Parts: sequence; C-alpha cells; structure tokens
Amino acid sequence: MSLTLQESETANVVRFEGAVDISSAAELKDLLLQALGSGREVHLSLAEAQSLDVTAVQLLWAAERDARTSGVALSLDDHLPESVTAALKSAGFNEFPG
Amino acid sequence: MLQSISSNADQFKQSFREEAREILVDLEAALLELNENSGDQELVGRVFRALHTIKGSGSMFGFEKLAAFTHNLETAFDGVRSGRVPITCELIDLTLHSLDLIRTMLEQSAEAASAADEQACAEILAKVRRLAALPEQQASGGQANTETPAPTESKGEQREWRIRFAPGPDMMRDGTNPLLLLNELRQLGALSAKASMAAVPPLTELDPERCYVSWEMALVTTAGADAIRDVFIFVEDHCELAIEPAPEAAGPANQADKTARALEEHRTPSGGRRTYDKPDSASSLRVPAAKLDQFVDLVGELVTVQARLSAIAAQRDDPEISEVGEEIERLTSSLRENSMNIRMLPIRGTFEKFRRLVHDLARDLGKNVELTIDGADTELDKTVIERLSDPLMHLIRNSMDHGIEPPEQRTAGGKRATATIHLSARHSGASVLIGVSDDGAGIDAARVRSKAIEKGIVAPDAELTEQETFALIFQPGFSTAKQVTDVSGRGVGMDVVRQSVESLRGTIDVASKPGQGTSVTLRLPLTLAIIDGLLVAVGDDYFVLPLANTLECIELTREDVEKANGKHIANVRGTIVPYICLREHFNIRTPRPALEQIMVVETEAGRYGFVVDQVLGDCQTVIKNLGRFYRHVQVVSGATILGNGSVALILDPERLVQDAMRLDRRTGRGSVPRATHGNACASKSHIKSSPANAAQKCAGADLHAGACQSQT
Repeated sequence: MSLTLQESETANVVRFEGAVDISSAAELKDLLLQALGSGREVHLSLAEAQSLDVTAVQLLWAAERDARTSGVALSLDDHLPESVTAALKSAGFNEFPG
Repeated sequence: MLQSISSNADQFKQSFREEAREILVDLEAALLELNENSGDQELVGRVFRALHTIKGSGSMFGFEKLAAFTHNLETAFDGVRSGRVPITCELIDLTLHSLDLIRTMLEQSAEAASAADEQACAEILAKVRRLAALPEQQASGGQANTETPAPTESKGEQREWRIRFAPGPDMMRDGTNPLLLLNELRQLGALSAKASMAAVPPLTELDPERCYVSWEMALVTTAGADAIRDVFIFVEDHCELAIEPAPEAAGPANQADKTARALEEHRTPSGGRRTYDKPDSASSLRVPAAKLDQFVDLVGELVTVQARLSAIAAQRDDPEISEVGEEIERLTSSLRENSMNIRMLPIRGTFEKFRRLVHDLARDLGKNVELTIDGADTELDKTVIERLSDPLMHLIRNSMDHGIEPPEQRTAGGKRATATIHLSARHSGASVLIGVSDDGAGIDAARVRSKAIEKGIVAPDAELTEQETFALIFQPGFSTAKQVTDVSGRGVGMDVVRQSVESLRGTIDVASKPGQGTSVTLRLPLTLAIIDGLLVAVGDDYFVLPLANTLECIELTREDVEKANGKHIANVRGTIVPYICLREHFNIRTPRPALEQIMVVETEAGRYGFVVDQVLGDCQTVIKNLGRFYRHVQVVSGATILGNGSVALILDPERLVQDAMRLDRRTGRGSVPRATHGNACASKSHIKSSPANAAQKCAGADLHAGACQSQT
C-alpha cells in the first residue's frame, strides 16, 4: 500500500497503490485535505489500487462532497481496476464518486 | 501507522483471549446450570451464542483451529436448540471437557498445537458427533469450515428479509471488516446491499478510522431470522441491527410472531441518532493488571512522601506549609482509598469456578454434592483473590473426599443423600471472612490425635484441647486418609492452605461437630498494600499497630504496675485486661519511663494491651516486605518508612499475643494471663503461628537488623 500526492501547477494527483485500508486512513485524510486545500483541480488515480475498504470509501466520498460544495473539480480515472469496482458494488457503494 | 496497526493486531488477539476467557467462564456456568435444568431453552441459547461468539471472534483473530473445533460444538448445540439432540449428562461432560481444550488452544500461539491436543480434539469431536448424530464430514477435525452452518437452518421456504445494519463507531478500529459480514450474508442467499453515506461528515471533521456507513439490505434466503442474526452475533453489541421480513413476504403466523418479537427488541431509537453516540457509551475500561500495580505502588510512594511533608510542616511551625501539607494529606488519603477501590474485585469469579470442580469431583467420587454460594459480591483485593484460589481448592477437595460421606451412608444416617458444600464471603472490619463448610461427617478428633501420635507430630502423652487437635490437620504430612486417592490423602493440601493463608497474613478457624459437618473460616486482610495504623514509640524504636483492631489507649503508671504484683494486667474500668510489654518482649534496653501507654487491641483471643512509651498518632502505612530472610519472624507483618526516613515495624497483634503466651508457658512465668473472654467457642480452634522457631525467639534481637533490611 502506498499513497502519494503529486502537486503541479494545474492539478493535484493523489495516487493509490495496493490495498488501501484503515492502516492508511489517517494518511489518506491528510493527503486529501492537502490536495483540496490548494484550490487546484484534484485527480484521484486508482489504476494501481487493489482494493478499498470502508474507511477509504467514506474518505473519498467526503472529499467528493467537499470538492463539490467548494467548487473544486475532482476527477477519477475513467477505468477503475475490476477488483475495485467489483468490491465496491458488492459492498453496496452504488453511488461511488466520479 | 503500519506499525501501530500490527501492534494493534497483537492487542486485538490479547483482548480476544481475555474476552474468550470470560465467555468460557460464563459458558461453564451455563452448562452446569443446564445439567440441573435441562429443559431451559434460554440456557441452551446462552450456550449456543457463547460458542458462536468464540468461533466467530476466534476465526477473525487468526485462531483457526480453535474456531474449527468450536464450530463443531456449536453445530451440536444448534441441534439441541432445535430439539433434535437431547441434553444428556454425557453431552454436558463432553462439552465441559471441550472447554478445557479450547482454553489450551487459546493460550497457545495460533497454530502451535501438540499432537496430543489434536488427538484429544479428534476424540472429543468423535463423541460429540455420535451424540449429536451428525454426519461424518460435517464434524471432521481441524479443517472443518468455519462458516455459519446454513443448512441446519433450512427449515422454511424462501423468504425475503430486510436487514438494516449500522456498525458501531469503533467496529473498524476493533479489526472487524463490515464487508466480510456482508459476504457471510451472501452465503445464506441472494443479497442486494445499498450503502448509506448520510452519516459521513465533512472531510475536516471526519475521524478516518471510524465507520460512518450503514447498510440497507435485502436477502432472499431459506434461513430464518436466527440464522441471519447469528452472522452478526459477535458484533451485535457494537452495532445497530434490524432484521424483518419484507412486507409482501410476511410468512406464517408463528414465524411472524417471532419476527415481531425480534423487531421489538431491535427497534431503532427515534430521531435517527445511534445509541452509541451518547457520551456515556464507555462505562468501563479494561486495564492491564500490571499498570494497576504500578499505580498503587506510586500511590504508596506518594503516601510516604506526604508523611515526610507533614513531618517537616510540623517542625517548621509555618502555617502556610501546614495548610498545604494538610490539603495534600487529605488528597493523598482519598487517592489512596480510590486506588485501593480500583483493585477490589468481587470474589464471584473465584467461587463460581469451583462449581466445575465440585461437579467433576462428585462424579469421580460417586457422591452427590451441590455447591451453594453466599456473598459472591463481597469485594477484596485483587492479589488476595488471586492467592485464595489454591487454598479454597484444597479445602473443597478435602471436604469432598474426607468430609462428605457416600450417598448410602448419608441416607442410612438420616441425612439428605445430596450433600452440600457452602462457600461464603463477608466483610468484618478490615478483614474478610471466607467460609467453606460441608454437612459431612465432621472431623474425628480421636482419629486425628492417634494419627498425629503415630506420625510423631505430637507426643503420646500430650494433652491437647479440641482446638489444638483440629490444628494438627494443617501440619505438613498429616493425613488420616486410609488410602491416598487422586483427590487427597497425601497430607499436602491442608499444609498448602495453612501456608497460603499465612502468607496473606490471615488466620484459619476450624469448627466441626461429629456427624454434622465441618466449617473452615479464613480471616483475611482486605488489602495487602496499605493499612491505617497507629504509630507508637518504645525507646528509640517505632512500631505500627493496625488501627482497625485498636480499641483505646490508656495510661499505665508506676503505681499501677506495682499494684498488680508483677502480673501484666491492667484494670480498665473494672475489666481486667492482660498486657504485653513491648519493651520486655522485644528486649529493648532503654530506661522505662514513669508514664507509659497501653494500647488496648481486640484480638481473636480477647482484649489485650500492648505497653508502649508513647503514642505518636495515626498514619497511613505502606506495607513493605521484610524480605525472605525474615519471613519466619511472624510477629512482624512488614515494615514501613516514616516521614523522617526511619523504619517502623508493623506488628501483628494476633501473633504477638500467641507468641507472648507461648514464651510465657515455656518460662513458666505466667506474667501474661489469658484474656477472660477469649476461647469462648469450645469447638473452635485457631491456627495461626507455625511451631515455635528460632527466628521468632530472636525477633527482639533482630529487630534492628530487620529494619535495615526492609525493602524500599
């Protein structure tokens, strides 16, 4: 599991790798706050992610809602890994952001 | 973060162990109750739920073997619950035996199990399988699957259920993944789930490790509400759960009743607020015992430092320092009381544990015995409770083997065939009285005497009172048993009792009537760490007498001494009170002052006085051990450090009186007469002091050395 934040002039990219779970929840929250705080467009790259647990999903969900209310553009990869989408679906997260 | 999670995993394992141990105790109690009351469906449910919790949590925390083993037991009890499997003594015994194996597995690291254990598991499972008439493959040893046994519930037709599941805030932190529960539900039937994110707060306010998501689910299954609830059984206390049949699929009347009841139980609170959002949700904490010991040690140190502060304040005569000193004294005193209270536990757990012992022994010995318990809520110090288990076990074993007669003999003697062993606990001042009594044959004093003579413990011509005779049973190597059995007869048990009770600074009383039974009472101090004492001085030496036993303090003048003609007795408002002069007893060679003080103390043997030079006042005393070298000096129960840094010995009035009387008998002085109202009960005896030993005789000479050796 690793989380990285890549800041550039135009957009902030948060990159997810491996299994994103409660062990990295606090770190993810800090990264999301940092990424959203700059006011630049935020992109979440989940291509390398294997799975997301409930803590990760609720963080992403909250980030998306915050971005919407503060008018920051937040985007997701067009194609999420199959394992992630399947797990999300089975967990009933039908309205996943993006 | 990662590191903290992995250490968390160990913590979870540990807390699972602790929880499982508690569940096992409850399970054992439920099984024993079930043995007497086999029709009680509630008890069956309790057993089933306990097994299910152990299985579920076990597999979650990596105790796979334990989970697999428990799964089979659970399946058997599922059969009991549904009425397919009858409850028999054999099944109860097997299950009790299984609990022992589960305990062993619990203590081992997750996968380390010896071949012998595996064998034992397999044997038990084979028997359980036979009793529960389970098919072979379902209950096969270690590799059984640990999923909820869906097929056992497949009684009804397919039905749609609505399930609302809101995990508690700490569920994720506790290592439970709610998504796995959803997967477990999928094994019961077709599940469609919808997560509700309504409770997720803005990112800044979000606690990243808390679970805010709740689920609305629809499950189409043949399983009943019980089977669905069982999926959540080990998180049920930490979540909100509602299971109800879908409106269009409300089943037959009886099913509907059941569901209505279930719904009633789980009705969610109004306003959509979860119950655990209330601020008082955590009403108790689990704290490692070592931390508590450390805390009490620190409070002990604080008490000592506070005594120093008070001493300095008294010397300086500075009102400001005195004021602060008094304030700190008050606070320290309540801190001490509080810390002592934290260490107090009800004795229930220890008592309940013996139900199993009595059950097993009664079966092995072919006797009918029931255990009754009184005062299980009596609280005493954790350390005392821990060290009480062994002596109680030996006393019960002794009662069961020697005291209680076989049923035929009891009936022939006009007694009830079922014998009773009664455990009791109650407070008495600063002590707690623990009683073990039976309605058996009683102690045969003549037999005890002849056996003691035979073993050379007493001289053949020794004149012994009944009390002294009963005291002999606590001598090492003493046994009247004709045969050494598995249970007792080697003459070790009662000696263990005496030693354990002595090490707790307690005393033992034995009362026995032939044909009517024996009653053993242990008098133990409430705590071993700190006592309230009275500080007294003799010459340059300081001593502490426990305040709880001290009645009053009177003056002793030269004239009083002369009037008594060398006898050590004082006239206290018309009552004669014998006294012990500490100066003489401890051989302290300083001149005797003209005016002395007698501390009148209530002892088991009646009222006795202790003559000292000066009474300095009350003090909170942190008890320090004198160390192994002085363990035979029984008149001193420990030492304490005073405010000025000097050491005071804490005296044990009971033993001091005994010691003085024994010395008196030996020297034939008769200067310490027996208290008038002591030894009131003719059929009672006190066993406190071990046989005279050199160390005790030298107590006086060694006092100073003892003081220097005390551990600080």
